[in-house]
Amino acid sequence: MHIDLKKELTKSGGGRFGVALLLLIVLMAIFAPLLAGYDPTGQSRSAFQSPCLSHLLGTNHVGQDIWSQLVYGARTSLLVGLSVAFLTTVLSALMGASAALIGGLYESIVMRVVDALIVIPVIIVLILVAAYLQPSLWILIILLSLLGWQGGARIVRSQALSLKERMHVSAARCFGGSRLYLIYRHIVPDLSPILLVEFIYSMRRAIFMEAGLAFLGIADPSIVSWGMMMREALDFSYLNVWLWWLLPAGIALSLTIVSITFIGYTLEPEMEPRLRGEVHA
Amino acid sequence: MFSRRNLVTYAIALLLILALNFLLPRMMPGDPLMAIYGEEALVQMTPELKAGLVDRFALDQPLWHQFGTYFTAVFQGDLGYSYYYNAPVFEVILGRLPWTLLLVGLSLILATLLGIVLGIESGWRRGSKSDRTMLAGLMALNGFPDFFIGMVLLLVFGVTLGIFPLAGALTPYSGLSGGALLVDVLKHLALPLAALTLAHVAGGYLLTRNTMITVLKEPYMLTAKAKGLSQRAMKYRHAGRNSMLPVITRTGIWLGRVVTGALFVEMIFSYPGLGYLTYEALLARDYPVIEGVLLVVAIFVLVANFLADLTYPKLDPRVSYAH
Repeated sequence: MHIDLKKELTKSGGGRFGVALLLLIVLMAIFAPLLAGYDPTGQSRSAFQSPCLSHLLGTNHVGQDIWSQLVYGARTSLLVGLSVAFLTTVLSALMGASAALIGGLYESIVMRVVDALIVIPVIIVLILVAAYLQPSLWILIILLSLLGWQGGARIVRSQALSLKERMHVSAARCFGGSRLYLIYRHIVPDLSPILLVEFIYSMRRAIFMEAGLAFLGIADPSIVSWGMMMREALDFSYLNVWLWWLLPAGIALSLTIVSITFIGYTLEPEMEPRLRGEVHA
Repeated sequence: MFSRRNLVTYAIALLLILALNFLLPRMMPGDPLMAIYGEEALVQMTPELKAGLVDRFALDQPLWHQFGTYFTAVFQGDLGYSYYYNAPVFEVILGRLPWTLLLVGLSLILATLLGIVLGIESGWRRGSKSDRTMLAGLMALNGFPDFFIGMVLLLVFGVTLGIFPLAGALTPYSGLSGGALLVDVLKHLALPLAALTLAHVAGGYLLTRNTMITVLKEPYMLTAKAKGLSQRAMKYRHAGRNSMLPVITRTGIWLGRVVTGALFVEMIFSYPGLGYLTYEALLARDYPVIEGVLLVVAIFVLVANFLADLTYPKLDPRVSYAH
């Protein structure tokens, strides 16, 4: 179960491609202030400028520099992706492992809720909630996490159920290890490969959903995001500005999701062959 | 794998959505009527109408009583009233439903069939160059959000090349009928359908390909080869049929995702289905309509899951003996 992450990721071409691409986007997010050149929300000179040396991708309808927005958009996507992935993974681990270890009525209730959440159309629930609450970025992150843990919890539970019966765990129990000690020392470390895959797929889903919701207009208007850029650009589809406004934002978003897909797909069978198919939800 | 457990799950899912629809407006601070109907609607209301509505929703009663009233109303098909469209929500949704069914149904069929066939072909040639190219290509495609695919199709084939219409499902006031009407509908459908199908083909493909690779190692494949069956019979009748099983079980879950995808795609092409309706309702803060759409879509997803449960034993007789 214990894996060498670096080896697994660099072994296949797809994995190397994914890691390199994601690294590029992460660097773009970290060094955004250096790369941007302009304040992404501040207004430059005039609206609808074509790309030139001072504005690499031109300016938008209110004169904001599109290249700077594109660079800062990476921060929003990665922030949402990483935060939601972290919270979702913690929730999946807690719910799944506790269901497996406690069992009984508690387990049945948790698993019925999981099954029910799996069939609920999350985006429409989010639209309804957002119509009432006008969520800030952090509320959105919490909502996405609360509605995203169910698939992972199911996988964690089945894995924890089998781990519970393994020899080394029984041995530790015989030696008088407390329940907490067993969880901390044996169950959680052995679950880590599964949690890693869950983390990656949650991140992918969260980035996609944040962009989709921002595209629908459900977003904090003060924060630049790729989804919002695409929404604004689509209003001017009759001009040819979409070439340097809409396309770069869409491509940046797609490349981010593609890179995570490749990383996930590379790790998935290495970690747990039974995961195949389960994690795509 | 039809079981009572699944029915319980569906009941819980439905109850969760009803509870959300019920509680969300009532938890908001301020006037519950405003939260139920939206700010715009309240301006138009007379005091008598307000009093009538308070009575109708039992808003002066305890919360559990209110839920009872709400519950019975929903089961009688009363999803509330939309002040934006000036019509009962149920009617508004019913009017839009056919377009979404057409778009989602066709694209689900196309994406699933295409995914299965590509998955079988790719898995059959596992490790070869054509398999690797297909795998990399479809995985990359899987990363492109449906709304971005839709926008690119719209901008290239609609705006720039002008081959397909930009918006709507029909040419308005054209008075077309018969064959000309069908062509008109198909022309409007082409781009949204292509966007949705492209965005969802990879899911079925990846799943079929994975299963295909495990199925090909089964002893019965060796038997089939020993019997001297043709390549085609081996590929499709023996390996293929078994490889599509996981895809069928997932149809229900995929339906949910395709409907969500349709929401974005319909918005881009102003295609007058449930997705575009939701978007209009979001802009107008027409809460009853969003709640109605949520309920109707959830019911569709549940029914699709149920049907997938029922079809499964027909495709894989092993399941019905398994108990």
